[in-house]
Amino acid sequence: MYILPQKERLELECKALAARKNVLRMIKAGSSGHVGGALSIIDTITALYFKVMKVDPANPQWEGRDRFVLSAGHKCLAVYAVLAEMGFFEKEVLDTYGSLSSKIPGHPDMHKLPGIESNTGALGHGLSIGVGMALGLKVDGGDQKVFVAMGDGELAEGSNWEAAAAASHHQLDNLLVFVDRNRLQISGLTVEVMSYEPLYERWKAFGWEVQTINGHDMKAIVELATNAPAAPGKPTCIILDTVKAKGLSFAENRVDYHYWKANQDEMAQADKDLAEIEARLTCKVN
Amino acid sequence: MQSELRDPRKTFGEALVEVGKKLPNVVALSADSSSGSGMSPFHKKFPERHFEFGIMEQGIVGISAGLATTGKIPFFVAIAPFVTSRPFEMFRNDLGYMRQNVKVVGRCAGMTYSDLGATHQSLEDVAIIRTIPGVTVVNPGCPIEIIKATHAIAEHVGPVYMKLGGPKMEVLFQEDYDFQLGKGVTMMDGSDVTIIGTGTVLQKAHSAARLLTKKGVSVRLINIHTIKPLDEELILKAARETKQIVTVEEHYLVGGLGSAIAELLALNCPTRMRMIGVDDQLASNGPYEALLGLYGLQPEQIAETVTTFIQ
Repeated sequence: MYILPQKERLELECKALAARKNVLRMIKAGSSGHVGGALSIIDTITALYFKVMKVDPANPQWEGRDRFVLSAGHKCLAVYAVLAEMGFFEKEVLDTYGSLSSKIPGHPDMHKLPGIESNTGALGHGLSIGVGMALGLKVDGGDQKVFVAMGDGELAEGSNWEAAAAASHHQLDNLLVFVDRNRLQISGLTVEVMSYEPLYERWKAFGWEVQTINGHDMKAIVELATNAPAAPGKPTCIILDTVKAKGLSFAENRVDYHYWKANQDEMAQADKDLAEIEARLTCKVN
Repeated sequence: MQSELRDPRKTFGEALVEVGKKLPNVVALSADSSSGSGMSPFHKKFPERHFEFGIMEQGIVGISAGLATTGKIPFFVAIAPFVTSRPFEMFRNDLGYMRQNVKVVGRCAGMTYSDLGATHQSLEDVAIIRTIPGVTVVNPGCPIEIIKATHAIAEHVGPVYMKLGGPKMEVLFQEDYDFQLGKGVTMMDGSDVTIIGTGTVLQKAHSAARLLTKKGVSVRLINIHTIKPLDEELILKAARETKQIVTVEEHYLVGGLGSAIAELLALNCPTRMRMIGVDDQLASNGPYEALLGLYGLQPEQIAETVTTFIQ
């Protein structure tokens, strides 16, 4: 049973702060982006890449690597931010966000950027792709794991439930799904737009091992993901209770910031917000 | 003279076993209908390489993409409309945009399910799939070609859509026939008109060409088994030399072989054309051969259309 040491927890929180700063750097370059969801899932992505997953930034196609699929592809700012922090590519690439034929488009492209495993963006694709990856790795006897991050609004896509059934039917216990339950989607509260609650019971009914945690708690994320599968033979679903746009005081839990068109005042406030986090964490980032 | 007839699905299924023996990474995926898709022999030979998912075609296209990222060569086989129009976006993004090495086989394509009606017919599959960059579209016209194409698409790296009919097909080629993806085949040489056929109705076009030859028409007959990429050179040569082209396909006139050829010729060599296929309607129901007749796809009808066209 893996327990995350306190020191490493703090280190991860500093990495997450660095990743948030990278998100701001991209927004400064491109002036707008899907920031709300990126900042609700970014702690999980940081935890996975820095502490849980086996990956090699110098060899992104290494066969023994674990896979990460961002099903809610619009949150790709979070992935770009973490991959840059990991050293998959030069940080200068972040400054090309929004420019013509940038390697970091508004939805990820595996053929443009090292470290990206799938071309998502159209919702309801990532879990099927992840199921195929997990199946392929498992039948070859590998110990690699596949991690899929989904949005809660995205769960209304029916194709997800096809894949959810397939994962448990084929006993893919090397597959972990994180549902980023920030409770907001473009037009409002997810439970009001189209409720898929109770999420826990639904995933359970599809044959998954399910846990609900605070999606900004590094200790909980790392320990659950590292110790999975808790139930051999079952895929794992971790429901993350999160705050949309986490870290930006003016944007947290506000649906208007699903897609942020940043003005100067907000950008200045965002810098201030992250500086405050930095002071609290007593780490020096960038 | 009637040549030998063979079942396309059985032929494909047997070829898939041979491909499986040759390429250990080939796996088969099915959506509940594996025996109807000719996959029973593969299942028997390689049970651990056959994955059943039940009726979830959208999911399976994505799953096949994921499998391909791990080095597998998935063959996903099911009824044609359910692997093309239903999961089109998965085909486009997960196979096309992601450039994954997946072979989607739509069986009982066209009007095979003649009496089951329009829900089970696929007259638009070529039209929609050929819009996806990087996807090869193959439509074999005889059982020998099905065998050759199955091997060829397995060895080709990249996403492929191959369509198969249901009714037995005439053997039109010898076993040692040299099949190459993207290369059309001149089956008869002639100078008055070129008939270009594909897939299930290549045999009808072939019979029509023979009828016309008997009447003294010098017919060139071309088999286009790969609709994308199209053998532009062969088609442009035929257009220049015979100056008249008739296309024959069990598909909508919109977007199919005739449409692809019209696009090519309009830009490179404007040529008189007639396209034989199903026009802008959901096809009717009834016995297969009668249905082909309803849309002018029987040999005598094709010959009549060509005769009228060239006069």
